[in-house]
Amino acid sequence: MSARRSAIDIPVERYSLENGLKVNISVDRTVPVVAVNLWYGVGSRNERPGRTGFAHLFEHMMFQGSANVPKNRHFELIERAGGSLNATTWFDRTNYFETVPSHQLDLALWLESDRMGWMLPAMTQEKLDNQRDVVMNEKRERYDNQPYGDWDEWIQKMVFPESHPYHHTVIGSMEDLEAATLEDVAEFFRTYYVPNNAVLTLCGDVNPTKALQAVERYFGEIPAGDAIPPLPGTPTLDPVIGETRREVVRAKVPLPRVLLAFRTPPFTDDAFYTADVASSVLGMGKASRLYRSLVREKRVAKDVVSYVFPLTTGAGMLLVWATGLPGDDPETLETYLDEELAGLGSVSRAEADRAVTLTEARLVRGIEQAGERADLLSMYDQFFDDPGRLNEEVDRLRAVTPGDISEFADRYLGSDNRAALVYVPEDST
Amino acid sequence: MRPFDFPDVTAGELDNGLGLRVSRLARLPLTTVSLVLDAGETEVDPPSAGLAVLTGDALEGGTEARSGTELAEALEGIGATLALSTGWDATTASVSCLADRLDEALALLAEVTLRPSFPTQEIDRLKAQRLAAIQQRAMNPSSLAADVANELIYAEGSTYGRPLGGTTESVEAITVDAARDLVSRRYRPGSAGLVAVGDLDAAEVEEMALRHFGGWSGRSAGGVMPEPSARSTDRRIVIVDRPEAVQSEIRMGHIGLPKASEDYFALLVFNMILGGSFTSRLNLNLRERNGFTYGVRSRFAFRRAAGPFSVSTAVQTEVSAAAVRETLHELEALVESGPTEDETQAARDYIAGVFPLRLETTGQIAARIAELIVYDLSDDYHAHYRDRIRAVTKQDALEAGRRAVRPDELTIVVVGAAEKIRGPLEELDVGPVLVR
Repeated sequence: MSARRSAIDIPVERYSLENGLKVNISVDRTVPVVAVNLWYGVGSRNERPGRTGFAHLFEHMMFQGSANVPKNRHFELIERAGGSLNATTWFDRTNYFETVPSHQLDLALWLESDRMGWMLPAMTQEKLDNQRDVVMNEKRERYDNQPYGDWDEWIQKMVFPESHPYHHTVIGSMEDLEAATLEDVAEFFRTYYVPNNAVLTLCGDVNPTKALQAVERYFGEIPAGDAIPPLPGTPTLDPVIGETRREVVRAKVPLPRVLLAFRTPPFTDDAFYTADVASSVLGMGKASRLYRSLVREKRVAKDVVSYVFPLTTGAGMLLVWATGLPGDDPETLETYLDEELAGLGSVSRAEADRAVTLTEARLVRGIEQAGERADLLSMYDQFFDDPGRLNEEVDRLRAVTPGDISEFADRYLGSDNRAALVYVPEDST
Repeated sequence: MRPFDFPDVTAGELDNGLGLRVSRLARLPLTTVSLVLDAGETEVDPPSAGLAVLTGDALEGGTEARSGTELAEALEGIGATLALSTGWDATTASVSCLADRLDEALALLAEVTLRPSFPTQEIDRLKAQRLAAIQQRAMNPSSLAADVANELIYAEGSTYGRPLGGTTESVEAITVDAARDLVSRRYRPGSAGLVAVGDLDAAEVEEMALRHFGGWSGRSAGGVMPEPSARSTDRRIVIVDRPEAVQSEIRMGHIGLPKASEDYFALLVFNMILGGSFTSRLNLNLRERNGFTYGVRSRFAFRRAAGPFSVSTAVQTEVSAAAVRETLHELEALVESGPTEDETQAARDYIAGVFPLRLETTGQIAARIAELIVYDLSDDYHAHYRDRIRAVTKQDALEAGRRAVRPDELTIVVVGAAEKIRGPLEELDVGPVLVR
């Protein structure tokens, strides 16, 4: 692959307020919209025992109003302004975002600041009970009532020890959701929803001077909180699992599925990029090894997936899975997956290039949207204290050599670092 | 407030009838090119259901010059992504790539769509995958509910009563010859369009299009446009028993309207108020007041012929009957009394306001422009889109809603634990309750 200009060159200016809020502004005036994106440095990893699922439940409470905003008015005002909005909770963070016509920037900033500064006066038991019901129904809809819906619960338990913050899922347990109280909401808010634990990114059609003044006006008077407490449990862990763990689940699923998960270096380690390229060689696109071998040639799989989790606490994770065709033997599927994993010892330069080129193309298409650009800038700020790192990501991937991939496979994809989860259709013999 | 204009589109046509629509968007060095073919499932006869989808998918199985894997390598080697998608109204083959690879990507797009080889083993593989997917749909509560609802809304054997990808029986019957025949009848330039959006130049695109697609000829023979009719106009509840379910998947629907309906814009406003947004009446009731569900939506599937109108939600088992009752209540109240002035204003502002937000990417713009070809809309359709939304009055929305939504004709499908939900659903007394 010849050297050519990188397609990713996103400008970004960094600021910070006295209360510790980090602010990134990235100007692009080609479309009259602006994305407002807030990352709070809190996720399921911060949950204490007995309160799994709470970070996500709390995210729901953030839409239930604040001192000057009645329940659901946040949604209503943004929709009326012709904007879109949402929020998500993940292992290491919680993000909140709006994309609005650019003349509505102040509205979005005001709404976000009102709940960052003055959420608690609006909290009631009735709202908590309502959103607890909503979240329990979210868990039923997306996990409990779905074929294979409990896969991440199994995988996280097998890959991360009980003392580690990634041992439990983001959605949590029904029992713990049931136990959440208003006092938990207040404590979580005071501890984690503080400006010194947040990154605010504005992307799009803004005048940076005026935008920064507006940020100062709305967020400036929110007092800084205390230092963020250490993570519960033991966030450090061995680089590998130490053995092969295996679970066979007979369930009401239509087709057999084999999932293999491996601990990898964390996202914050340079070796993570090797894991990323290895994963793409395995499973990204239809020229990838798994698709080519299991789906196209051997015709034993309906679909294959390979994915790395960009996690920051002690370890990341690589996950591959294959769904069989009706009547397929899961053992055969696993054998073929094994062959392809072992084959990572001999990846050609051209193959690695193809994988990186495809990743680059996806990344560039992702950042066409202001909301996605803003989210990535917030992420690189939060995890690396360097939002501009977004512009260097492809170079980091390109630096991975076939030798690196071979070493990575040797060290991380062996039998001493494996969690195997096998779904077998209940009615098969 | 900065004005928003739909990106400029240069329209043209090759001598063989292939329509060209080119829009320059040079923010990033990216392009998306879509070939829109008049080969959707709407005009596929029911016994061959799924043929258009499978044929579209099989384009990546190989060409006269390359195997499927060689094709994937050629595309991915230049960072191009090929997306093949067949819906009810069209087959769309799109490539996205960096701008400096456009010529190579277009050559591959032409190779895939004009010279597919349909190797037998690739067709067999895709059939096996489709049959497996049909088994998956039957065990997934959400897709099962949708499939059963459509089957029961439309008269037996109807086009829209079947799943888009076909049934086990119809997919098993698909042959290589049938795929070739579909291509020769319907993949034709006279009824197709090429949409190019991105960091490109209209004259260059036309020159490339001529080089890669100029030798193609003919006009789609089309199929027969279905005339949808209902299986029943009596409201009824059908339970699909899933004894282990912890939730009930609910679908409540009947036949809606085609895309060409004069009520289209008024119904977009009406539906937004009913169940089209977070702050819709249904969501505020079922989710934010009662906590029955993670979410509820209503929608009209506007297609060339009349697709379904439906409300969909998943609720915890214990409140299944209450959720049906509340949904009926909201439908009846809105059809009876209509939206308020304030609700109508909010819905208009939302639809008109988010329109440009969803036109940020080359792919989104290409998909919008493709609609012009698929539904035979005028070139200035998007320029006037927001004005037409803003012109919808409260009375327009009410009248269109009354014509389109008929609460006493709903087919109500509940996929859940029959033993627990049957009694309460019968007590609602809104129609006969059957278990299947």
